[in-house]
Amino acid sequence: MRRALAHYWRTNVAVGLAVAVCGAVLTGALLVGDSVRGSLRDLTLDRLGALDVAVVGERFFRRDLPTELLEQPDMGAAFDSAAGAILLRGNAVHGSTRARASQINVIGLDDDSRSMLADTEASDVFRREAETAPASVQKDLNSPFPPITLNAALADTLGATLGDQVLLRFQIGAEVPRDTLLGERETDEVVGTVRGVVESIIPNRGVGRFDLSPHQAFPLNAYLDMERLQAGLDQAGRINAVFLSGALEVSDAAWEDLANALTLEDVGLRLRPDPAGFVEVSSDEFVLRSALVEATERAAGNLGVPTLPLQAYLANAMRRGAEVVPYSMVLASDAPTTPTLGRLVDVDGEPAGTLADDEILINAWTAEQLGAAAGDQLEMDYFVVGIDERLRNETSSFRIAGVLAMDGLAADPQATPEYPGIEGVDNIADWDPPFPVDLSAVRDVDEVHWDDYRGAPKAVVSSATGARLWATRYGATTAIRVAVPEGIEAAAFATQLGSEIEAAISPAQLGYRFLDAKARGLEGATGATDFAGLFIAFSFFIIFAALLIVAMLFNLGVDARAREVGTLLALGFPARVVRNRLLAESAVVAACGAALGAVAGITYARAMLWALTTWWLPAVGSPLLFLHVQPGTLAIGFLLTVVIALGTIFIALRRLRALPPTRLLVGDTRPQQTVRHGPGRSRWLAPAGFAIGIGTVGAAVATGNAANPGLAFGAGAALLVGGLAAFAYWNNRPRARVEVARGATWRMALRSAGWNPGRSLISVALVASACFVITTVASNTRDPRNEDGVVEEGAGGYRLLAYTDVPLHHNLNTAEGRFDLGFSDDASDALEGVRIHQFRTVPGDDTSCLNLYQPQRPRLLGAPQAMLDEGGFHFASSLAADYGAESPWELLAQDLGPDVVPVIGDANSMQWILKLTLGNELVITDERGRPLRIRLVGTVSESIFQSELLMSEAHLLRHFPSRSGFSFFLVDAPAGSEEELATLLESSLERFGFDAISSAQRIADFLIVQNTYLSTFQALGGLGLLLGTFGLGVVLLRNVIERRGELATLRAVGFPRGALARMVLAENVVMLIAGILIGVGAALAAAAPRVVLGGLALPWTSLLWSVVAILGVGMAASLGAVSLTSRIPLLPALKGES
Amino acid sequence: MNDAPRLVVESLTKTFAEGEREVSVLRGAALTASVGDSVAIMGPSGSGKSTLLHCVGTLEPPTTGTVMIDGADPFALSEPEIARFRNSTVGFVFQDHHLLPQYSVLENALLPTVAFRSANDSQDRARSLLDRVGLAHRLDHRPGELSGGERQRVAIARALINQPGLLLCDEPTGNLDGPTADSVADLLLELHAEADSVLLVVTHSEHLAARFARHVDLQDGKCVER
Repeated sequence: MRRALAHYWRTNVAVGLAVAVCGAVLTGALLVGDSVRGSLRDLTLDRLGALDVAVVGERFFRRDLPTELLEQPDMGAAFDSAAGAILLRGNAVHGSTRARASQINVIGLDDDSRSMLADTEASDVFRREAETAPASVQKDLNSPFPPITLNAALADTLGATLGDQVLLRFQIGAEVPRDTLLGERETDEVVGTVRGVVESIIPNRGVGRFDLSPHQAFPLNAYLDMERLQAGLDQAGRINAVFLSGALEVSDAAWEDLANALTLEDVGLRLRPDPAGFVEVSSDEFVLRSALVEATERAAGNLGVPTLPLQAYLANAMRRGAEVVPYSMVLASDAPTTPTLGRLVDVDGEPAGTLADDEILINAWTAEQLGAAAGDQLEMDYFVVGIDERLRNETSSFRIAGVLAMDGLAADPQATPEYPGIEGVDNIADWDPPFPVDLSAVRDVDEVHWDDYRGAPKAVVSSATGARLWATRYGATTAIRVAVPEGIEAAAFATQLGSEIEAAISPAQLGYRFLDAKARGLEGATGATDFAGLFIAFSFFIIFAALLIVAMLFNLGVDARAREVGTLLALGFPARVVRNRLLAESAVVAACGAALGAVAGITYARAMLWALTTWWLPAVGSPLLFLHVQPGTLAIGFLLTVVIALGTIFIALRRLRALPPTRLLVGDTRPQQTVRHGPGRSRWLAPAGFAIGIGTVGAAVATGNAANPGLAFGAGAALLVGGLAAFAYWNNRPRARVEVARGATWRMALRSAGWNPGRSLISVALVASACFVITTVASNTRDPRNEDGVVEEGAGGYRLLAYTDVPLHHNLNTAEGRFDLGFSDDASDALEGVRIHQFRTVPGDDTSCLNLYQPQRPRLLGAPQAMLDEGGFHFASSLAADYGAESPWELLAQDLGPDVVPVIGDANSMQWILKLTLGNELVITDERGRPLRIRLVGTVSESIFQSELLMSEAHLLRHFPSRSGFSFFLVDAPAGSEEELATLLESSLERFGFDAISSAQRIADFLIVQNTYLSTFQALGGLGLLLGTFGLGVVLLRNVIERRGELATLRAVGFPRGALARMVLAENVVMLIAGILIGVGAALAAAAPRVVLGGLALPWTSLLWSVVAILGVGMAASLGAVSLTSRIPLLPALKGES
Repeated sequence: MNDAPRLVVESLTKTFAEGEREVSVLRGAALTASVGDSVAIMGPSGSGKSTLLHCVGTLEPPTTGTVMIDGADPFALSEPEIARFRNSTVGFVFQDHHLLPQYSVLENALLPTVAFRSANDSQDRARSLLDRVGLAHRLDHRPGELSGGERQRVAIARALINQPGLLLCDEPTGNLDGPTADSVADLLLELHAEADSVLLVVTHSEHLAARFARHVDLQDGKCVER
């Protein structure tokens, strides 16, 4: 075998090189997959440093919590270190240029947290990069403004340099939920501001790219010293995140440790011992969350003492006929079970009984003011906050069940909590609550009552009635009185009760979360997109062409050894033995080629990564992709290549079976045909292909699916098959006789093309398929900004969409809401008639193709009912029929059970990123730490919702009740006014970081990934086509070599070299042009409906260049064959010698 | 009829390069033939018989020396002119018939007429020739459907289609069995007799050679008339 390998070394080297090309592409593609995964892993380690797990809460907590957590037994054992931080979302504005950056991270760090993030465990590559990175420049600026550090990404966005002033804005944490009656919604109360001076700019790596969410894009980060940020937030000594290092995951015991470490202060609970014999438990959120109510009740139960839940609310007016008492506190409570908790006694000294749902007790002062007595009707006006966070004035009627003596709870100012804006003021006239009050309605007697009784309740309803009328999703109870057992000091009991409550608190229910950021990042680093598979697909034509060349070169080798094979067969060697011998030789060649390919694959992968981080950057969005070579991948690439190459060679060897030894002995390996070819299958395949193709195109147009790329591709493929079958039919049909006439050479060329129809068809099919794919890819390159119907289908007709960093708590659709948000009159007027849907959001991972990481916790949008009622958008699929809904949007409102929420997502994101199909569920955790199953009930096509999942606002609030305010918006802007409206909204809402973008641009941003993939495919397909054309050249070469006797004969009978060259050229050009026409024609016919109906603009120029390149390379290959034609030595050819 | 010889070969040498070595096949060969001559050229393998034939047939240019056909030196012409000259003046019959498999019998016979659109009556002439060689009933058959003798007869018809002045045959019966070889030889001689041509036949076969009027041996690269 060694001698055979050495003797035919030229052929073997050629075959080996072709195998190496195939191996390089295969191994390279696998290495690209490894490298993307490895780089994402490196990025995770780089952006998190030593941070493994973060504890985040919905509210600020004590700065000592990190230290105390480490003192807990399990946490202490699991984690090495803990540090506190403040993490906020916000926006930044350059102090002088007003350049703006939204969606930034405002990060407050101390020395501990900074060093934890800086402690990078990233790969060598990152360390090397870090060493070569310019160090941040520190400058002592002696400025009155606090120093700010920016990462390079934010500095670039703002155009900020050292010494520049930058304004940072962020949401201020609210103690009282903003979407409750007492929540502060004034802009100044919502948006916090810090003006600082850029002291240093750090590179986008390590601390400079810190972000808890996995994303490969550079975050925009601004860093402040923690104390400075605390001051800006008015949260001195408090933080909202704990960084933990030492373990990737947390155990259940960690939750217990967290519960133990949390104090009442951390959860906003206040305990007030009252000398009357109770401890009042209240919250700095004004309303006690249900988890805290439960914890308090459990604690009291453990201590064996009774409780009295109280709910205080403000009535704007109580009315009986013309008599009105303005602004009164109303208490919702059941009758106290023990006098120490409070007393409700009527004017006759009798304890109040149980109240029906429509009954009310009023105190004697109120009865006097209203001239009311038991049995009378009373109307009460009060505000409620709707789901849209708007105040609504509502009225309820009650029957007066009795009149309370000015004693006990009815005269107890402590029965109601201190209202913000009301507490501590001497006169009602000085009230400044966060809701509108008409102080002109306040009478002197009201001031007198205020002086005497402050906020003591003037009326009492049952707790059930209170909950029905005034409960918010945060809860209803404003205070719980817990009776102090006899013989114990109230203060001492308060301590005891506090400990019990702390032990009963469930951190998860209060919104505390362990965020296993590193584990999530590493898990997500497996990637949403399989880049290995993607690049194998992209490189398909290269692999195919390389294999074609392997087969062709191998066949050339077999041709050269035909006599040897014939001799062996003639000598009695079984055909199997001869074949196996050739296969064994081929295996050695394939192995050598594959080994070379595996090594060359590293270079190919390096080239692809370079292209991914430069030409095709939009596909990955990060220049930080580095080569990762796994020995196992090289081995897989090697084995795959050997198997594929040997399989190809095995198939190529089969043709020897059909050749008798006698022919092989004279070196004849041509297919011998004695019978003319018939049209065969092409007779019916051609019309069938055309019928299916044209039918599909027609059906797509008729059903309004002209834009469906799947249908277009299917139609194109059918037309391609039809076209190739038609070529086969034409090529096989009986030809006119070659006779003395003009064009005889041309006819001879056609006859030659028809002589080996299989090979001709393969050549045409190769060119046609490549042209088809390249044209189809080109026709799928999209620019939605130039297409009709995109905004209607993908954005429901909403021409603008917007995000804010700080949620809005007012309605942009009303002049009042716009006034409260600080719009000028002109700006407000300009928005009159513009409909805007406001969405609540739950932050999470970007589910679009812009995020390379596999999303673990998708971002959620709460769609308002008005938007669901309007419908719109183009649905790719939905379960509407299964659930009996008329519109897919109706499905979002359906109740699928307590822990199941229906969601709608973008079809592409669901299929490729989350890999969910209709009816599939994804389990996430809700705000209270409970598992929540989100079930996909519909998908929208090419939509603006690729980064998130849509659920109804009602469902979102049920499971994420603290998501207060709106931070996503759909604007129904009139056509042509998008830019003007966007500018107006952005300038008016600059403090909130309002960032508007046209829907078409948004879809274009998503499509840029698809377009980049398409151009990647086009580029690699083009490369494959070049290689394929080289393969075509080998086919032509082989044709000429096989027909050297024929060509020599023609020369012998007087054909000039030029005529033969023209004949060979014409033969090849026929196949080349047929391939181009069939491929391009099929693709264009399939794309025609979109061009005609959908306004699709085809990239004619690039398409034309592709075709010209194909034609050019094909012609070059043909000319190579022609050149060989003229160099064939006549004598050996005529004598039948090789 | 002009008495001048149709073919005059003088001092013909032909050297081939074999690697770095040069091999002289013909070393001053000379040959003259007139219309009506039938010449058998003989010699051992590698003596240069086929090379001489190819030089005479203008397929290979001589290294030195001249080949004059009807008083003209074809090698003084350009390549297309040589091709046209060969097409009109020379007819070849090879040992391996070299029929084109994709063409029918009739088309194969017509091929030389296609190169320069020789004559308008070529179809009739081809049919007549094929009839003459006994293949009138197989006009539309492909070479693969013919026997060896039949193929060679098609090759003879093809060689004669343009009524060449020189009919050159390289081992025309080398691949045929005895009776078939005899019939092919008969045919060649008959057709030659009917045409105003020179017939040169390269052969190893003494039996075939015996049927020709003149016999030339190639010895040391030179022609030696017996």
